[in-house]
Amino acid sequence: MTIRENYVVPKRFNMIAFTLMVIGLLTIVGLYATHGSKEDPIAQARFWGSLLQNSVYFLLVVNAAMFFICATTLAWGGWQMSFRRVTEAISACVPVVGTICGVILLLICFGGNHEIFHWTDTEHVKHDKILSFKAGFLNKGFFAFMTVATIVLWSLLGWKMRKLSRSIDETPLNVEESKKYIWKNTVWAAVYIIVFSLTVMSSIPWLWLMSIDAHWYSTMYSWYTFASTFVAGVALITLFVVFLKNNNYLELTNEEHLHDLGKFMFAFSVFWTYLWFSQFMLIWYANIPEETTYFKPRAQGIYSGIFWLMFIINFLAPLLILMRRGAKRNYTTVTFMALLIIFGHWLDFFQMVFPGHQKDKVPMMLWDFGVALGFVGLIMFLTGRALSKSPLLAKNHPFIKESVIHHT
Amino acid sequence: MAVQKFITGNFYDEAVLFPAVKKVRRGGYKIHEVFTPFPIHGLDKAMGLRDTSLHTAGFIYAITGTATAVGFITWALTVDWQINFGGKPFFALPAWIPITFELTVLFAAVGMVLTFCYLCQLAPFVRKDHFNLRSTDDTFVLVLECTDKTNDAEAMSFLQSIGGQDVQVQYKETGWWLGRYDKDTKRFERKAEAAH
Amino acid sequence: MSLLRYESQVRPALVEGDKDYHQVTEDICRPVEARPSKLWWIGFIISVLFLAFGILSVTVEVIYGTGQWNLNKTIGWGWDITNFVWWVGIGHAGTLISAILLLFRQGWRTGVNRAAEAMTIFAVMCAGQFPIWHMGRVWNAFFVLPYPNTRGPLWVNFNSPLLWDVFAISTYFTVSLLFWYSGLLPDLATLRDRAKKKWRKAFYGVAAFGWTGSTKHWQRHEALSLVLAGLSTPLVLSVHTIVSFDFATSVVPGWHTTIFPPYFVAGAIFSGFAMVQTLLVVTRKVLGLEEYITIEHINVMNKVIVLTGSIVGIAYLTELFMAWYSAVDYENFAFFENRLNLNSPYGWSYWIMMGCNVLSPQIFWFKKMRTNLVVTFFMSILVNIGMWFERFVIIVTSVYRDYLPSAWSTYYTPTIWEVGFYMGTFGLFFTCYFLFSKFFPVIAIAEIKHILKRSGDNYKEKMDVVEKEDTIVFAEKQAHDH
Repeated sequence: MTIRENYVVPKRFNMIAFTLMVIGLLTIVGLYATHGSKEDPIAQARFWGSLLQNSVYFLLVVNAAMFFICATTLAWGGWQMSFRRVTEAISACVPVVGTICGVILLLICFGGNHEIFHWTDTEHVKHDKILSFKAGFLNKGFFAFMTVATIVLWSLLGWKMRKLSRSIDETPLNVEESKKYIWKNTVWAAVYIIVFSLTVMSSIPWLWLMSIDAHWYSTMYSWYTFASTFVAGVALITLFVVFLKNNNYLELTNEEHLHDLGKFMFAFSVFWTYLWFSQFMLIWYANIPEETTYFKPRAQGIYSGIFWLMFIINFLAPLLILMRRGAKRNYTTVTFMALLIIFGHWLDFFQMVFPGHQKDKVPMMLWDFGVALGFVGLIMFLTGRALSKSPLLAKNHPFIKESVIHHT
Repeated sequence: MAVQKFITGNFYDEAVLFPAVKKVRRGGYKIHEVFTPFPIHGLDKAMGLRDTSLHTAGFIYAITGTATAVGFITWALTVDWQINFGGKPFFALPAWIPITFELTVLFAAVGMVLTFCYLCQLAPFVRKDHFNLRSTDDTFVLVLECTDKTNDAEAMSFLQSIGGQDVQVQYKETGWWLGRYDKDTKRFERKAEAAH
Repeated sequence: MSLLRYESQVRPALVEGDKDYHQVTEDICRPVEARPSKLWWIGFIISVLFLAFGILSVTVEVIYGTGQWNLNKTIGWGWDITNFVWWVGIGHAGTLISAILLLFRQGWRTGVNRAAEAMTIFAVMCAGQFPIWHMGRVWNAFFVLPYPNTRGPLWVNFNSPLLWDVFAISTYFTVSLLFWYSGLLPDLATLRDRAKKKWRKAFYGVAAFGWTGSTKHWQRHEALSLVLAGLSTPLVLSVHTIVSFDFATSVVPGWHTTIFPPYFVAGAIFSGFAMVQTLLVVTRKVLGLEEYITIEHINVMNKVIVLTGSIVGIAYLTELFMAWYSAVDYENFAFFENRLNLNSPYGWSYWIMMGCNVLSPQIFWFKKMRTNLVVTFFMSILVNIGMWFERFVIIVTSVYRDYLPSAWSTYYTPTIWEVGFYMGTFGLFFTCYFLFSKFFPVIAIAEIKHILKRSGDNYKEKMDVVEKEDTIVFAEKQAHDH
């Protein structure tokens, strides 16, 4: 067996990536021309909403790769080591996608449009008892601070973890050194996880997404968002693993590893459904008008088609298709399911973002899909670049051999 | 079931057992059973055993549970006796999900365990022979089935040559019977003598 | 050399000392086959006395009614629901360890899963007592079952979270029992085949169901364990979720909040692991099983405790934040007056909860603390006190000041019979645990053997050559051999 350690980005891959990015840019321009530049604030909001949905979604999805690394590091996992560099490469998108997302968020926050974030309208807040009560949290200064601080912290800590991983590429460690190395990794992973739990699992979704429906609140919201983006993140990792396998890289990754990734997709789809159900059922059951306003347009109103389609894609499809052992070991099925899951949770974000301001009619999703393709291209390009920069095998990691003879 | 003749050999290391199983099969002998004190991954494949379809049974039990729960509750609360609970519709599906889920799991678990016990013939007071009492401790016991054509001495030396220890000929009852382990059942000994 | 299994030397061994398969059997069967020690008898008798007092307390309650507990207000739930939720929570660690950790292939689970599962079953038994005896007219308890009756038939209210509880707890008990017992079969067979005495042969012979350990049976057994683990994992989550629904489906401030399900589950795992620590720190010492339940096991479980404690902490803070953010007066009052305010009648309980559940487990960030047995034992007790108070805080502080201020009652003082009932469940729990530790192997023998050659001390030491090997050379060798 020969091991191809250095990944060379195929020309066609980058071609596709750039084409997608161009499509994305053109869509953004088109969307700006038809909506963003209009007088009507709701039409403007439609433009910004599309950027918000896509940038936040894809940022959280690529960031989930770093969460995957840190969680497995803390849990002393060994099996994922054979494709560790893939997760690292995906997480390397965070600084760029994060910057784009941060700029978009700040533009929405400080721009003149108040349809998406009602609370940015200081005149309106003065007359709104609830929003003025919340002003201590929902204000532009705090929003900007949290947004910038979060994206910077994710980028820095992710960079640190990747650097740690590459630092031993040339130097095999003995057992004592390995123990120290693992300890160092554990400490940084713990720092990342703490930051993650204070941002993704609590404050950030409240600010970026939940404040679109500024009067409404749900304590589950952040954990729900986390589950949604984590399962999509695992699906993205799977896609890149399959892609590299198809190009005859990652010799040490086989269907045993694929099986485990499939299990993750299956389990976290069920977990997402569990959180979805808990949130939905409790609000449905208590039937308090202040809370049901959120689900009214989504489950029963004009968005109900998307809402239930999203539910079928994200729950029933993984449950029924990925349950079988054979399905999780089949490259075609797993690829199909990974694509479906990424699309399903993108739809989930669509219905999280738009009903808050596009109340009269469902915006045409084709535009948003074009924007999404732009982000897909960007992630392809950035991940491919990161993959080619360091060896594909973290060959000196203390747990790598466990991954080599991994059996499910 | 009847008493039959077997040749048994003991193994103490998986690394010896695996090649031995392969050689026995290649040598044309029929493996009656391999008894091990703990599960050894891949041994079933090495022995050429079919994969179990217990999973499929579990899935069927599970959907039976789901259907039972949804069907029964729907009938009870929308057809048989309608009651307005808190202004909810009679067909209040979200509120039934918890019980539906519990019954799904209950049916699947109970059904599978019963199926497992049935397939493996496990029940209180069931007795079975497993050739060597140390096979639940530290010994892997490979059991060859003997037919009329089997040359005992040849088979025994073959088993020895591939690493088997304490190779013996044993006459054992192949099926299960009801009894207690503290009482030795004389009737099988008599049968065994008859088979000599 | 082709390896069947391999584990990095960086990981501490899970079985210490120079062991082979036979030695494992000997070590774990020894406490079962030896005469009970004096310590065992003392503990057992104390437990039985507690149980006896519990039975007396319950008898008094059944004869005279729940008024005997001082329970005389419509909104008061006494200690019962707190005790119930507390015990159910404790009953979550066992199945979590055996099911979720099986799916995650955590080798360290083998040392502790058997005892933890047993503990789960006993804890659920204790939990079940509270709703049953709290009914007052306990002879009508069968009314909770949906059976065709002469009242219509009037079916039970399938829309009620309390009925979901009936299904959840009974399913959980049944499935846990099946999971535990199917795992026990091979080990009971080991005991049966080692037995010298007549009654042992008879008892373990019946209990082992005629297990032989044939490959086909192991294959089915493995499949069964995996599927049961797959079923139990969502089941564990569902049980405490449904318990949380008891509160969260209501419109009571402090109860109706969407984060309750996952947060209750995290709390349950948290308290369950604490109880496992309490039991195992003692068990390993008394039964001489330190080489199987190693400091590493304690260390890892303490990591789970700090993780789940922190998740619970995030949930507490989320709730607190949302109470403010909601801008609802009632939510604000429930959290900032009834709970957070130390000077309010029950404010102290909130701070006990915060201190025991969120702050004190943070010392487990340090390895010195995680591997210290005295600290572990002390912390495990503290966590369980904290988790009792968590349920107390949720239940009491949300309802003791109802919407009608004239109904505001401050203090509820339980009588000896209610306290006795609670103590009685401890008696039940420990009586069962003592019997279990005497008659059943407290460690899964077959599963320890399964990981021995990968994680055993003496086998790991032999891996030096492999450990030093270059990864690519190693991979090539493995690929060549297969």
